[in-house]
Amino acid sequence: MANSKTPLLDELEKGKWPSFVKDLKQAAEKNPMAEDLIGQLELSYKEKIGHWKHGGIVGVKGYGAGVIGRYSDRPDLFPNVQAFHTMRVNHPTGWFYKTDALRKLCDVWDKHGSGLTNMHGATGDVILLGMKTDQLQPCFDDLSEAGFDLGGSGSALRTPSACVGPGRCEWACIDSLDVCYNLTMTYQGQMHRPMFPYKFKIKVSACPNDCVASIARSDFSIIGTWKGSIRIDQKEVTAYAASDLNIQQEVCDLCPTKCMDWDGKVLKINDADCNRCMHCINLMPKALRPGQEQGATILVGGKAPIVKGALLSWVIVPFMKLEPPYTELKDLIERIQDWWDEHGKSRERLGELINRLGMRVFLRAVGLPAVPQMVKAPRTNPYVFFWPEEIQKEVK
Amino acid sequence: MSDDLKTRVAELFKEKSKGDKKMFYIRDVVRWFPGEDRHAVQTAVQSLLDEEVLQYWSSGSSTYVMLAEFFPKE
Ligand code: HEM
Ligand code: HEM
Ligand code: SF4
Ligand code: SF4
Repeated sequence: MANSKTPLLDELEKGKWPSFVKDLKQAAEKNPMAEDLIGQLELSYKEKIGHWKHGGIVGVKGYGAGVIGRYSDRPDLFPNVQAFHTMRVNHPTGWFYKTDALRKLCDVWDKHGSGLTNMHGATGDVILLGMKTDQLQPCFDDLSEAGFDLGGSGSALRTPSACVGPGRCEWACIDSLDVCYNLTMTYQGQMHRPMFPYKFKIKVSACPNDCVASIARSDFSIIGTWKGSIRIDQKEVTAYAASDLNIQQEVCDLCPTKCMDWDGKVLKINDADCNRCMHCINLMPKALRPGQEQGATILVGGKAPIVKGALLSWVIVPFMKLEPPYTELKDLIERIQDWWDEHGKSRERLGELINRLGMRVFLRAVGLPAVPQMVKAPRTNPYVFFWPEEIQKEVK
Repeated sequence: MSDDLKTRVAELFKEKSKGDKKMFYIRDVVRWFPGEDRHAVQTAVQSLLDEEVLQYWSSGSSTYVMLAEFFPKE
């Protein structure tokens, strides 16, 4: 490799894991944009600074989101990445594609852009990396023709995403796919015409395993759950007992609330103490199933660190029935967004705003009662303070 | 939404853009009209965007609005 033009990037091809550098080099054989991208990246590694300028360009006709403008600050060296915009394409809910849809998507992208993709970005969208400004509109037109639309970016509702849910998974307590699709279609305006203080993310997991990590990654998390008893099939429990699984050690002893009892013959669960962590169900899927009364827990406030530190979402509605047309859910989303839009500072996420103004103010504004499930962690201050007039009422 | 409000938003945009600062958060614009309903101001901004008097500018994570005439040329 003595004569290589990219000695630093070449390091990333070593080792047995897949390498994005290999992929980039492969793409560079066909596409000069990919070639200049490699050149600019090597320069960044050498000088230890980034060479991308933030854009301005936001979308195509009628859209204020969906395109993230990027320009090289060294177009003299790398003319083919002078403009290197990203297009966010709304993925199909649950990321289910037919092969012909994927082929169409790739054909459009080979025609208009660098050929490089990120399947999928952290928001869930298909990320098409690297397009010149004059290709934005024709690329969008071809994507529309193929049945695709842009996702959210900037101070907008970001493309909602959902776990595969009932499409593949027997643990689904809600139809995460339908909820996500319904919200996406309802809130097209909020996604494509940014009007919020900052980004707003909605993610839907159909059970507490939370495969889309909605707790850590969304301002509004919808997580499937159940009320009442975990369904137990004792015959299957006996079969597990005869297998390698040590029910006492691996299941009961690791139940976080210690609400399970195994006497060697019968498995009992004290459901009142179960916090629906999914541990036992994950280990004994044939014997245990979520309870029959199913719905969702609603949480708010999750975000990654940018202006302030990371937050995990916390519970605001312990249990909500979720059935089309999801009126109760949408009313709540809209009340919350409206409050945030009115009081949030620029670039302030919902969780940060609630921390700044207090849960008491938030709960009153969106009309929710304070309930014990809102306590974020035991042994922290659990109190939602009373309003003075409520104390007066109590005194009388 | 009243045409009057739309005109006032456009006028004030021109006024505020006389200095070096050309890009504003939508919240800034709402704050220029303390007496007006927030949604009405937002609707006015939307229709000025439709008419291409105003244009969005985005860093990717945050979105601003500005007079189309000041939108940076490549
Ligand atoms: C000067 C007198 C007392 C002081 C300074 C005091 C202080 C405390 C403190 C610091 C705790 C620990 C709280 C925590 O875990 O965060 C506590 C817990 C507790 N105290 Fe006292 N205490 C006093 C008298 C009493 C008396 C007289 C009783 C019962 C008759 C009592 C019953 C309890 C109980 C049951 C807890 C456990 C509460 C829980 O686990 O949540 N204390 N006390
Ligand atoms: C008659 C006097 C006192 C009584 C009856 C009393 C009682 C208590 C009780 C019941 C708790 C809370 C238990 C809980 O969190 O469940 C507590 C917490 C506490 N008390 Fe006292 N306390 C007394 C005096 C003091 C004094 C004089 C100090 C310090 C100089 C003190 C320091 C604390 C601290 C640090 C906590 C823990 C707060 C927390 O973890 O959030 N207490 N006390
Ligand atoms: S979150 Fe639950 S329902 Fe959704 S895919 Fe994961 S395990 Fe299945
Ligand atoms: S779901 Fe979790 S808390 Fe509930 S019984 Fe199973 S292991 Fe225990």
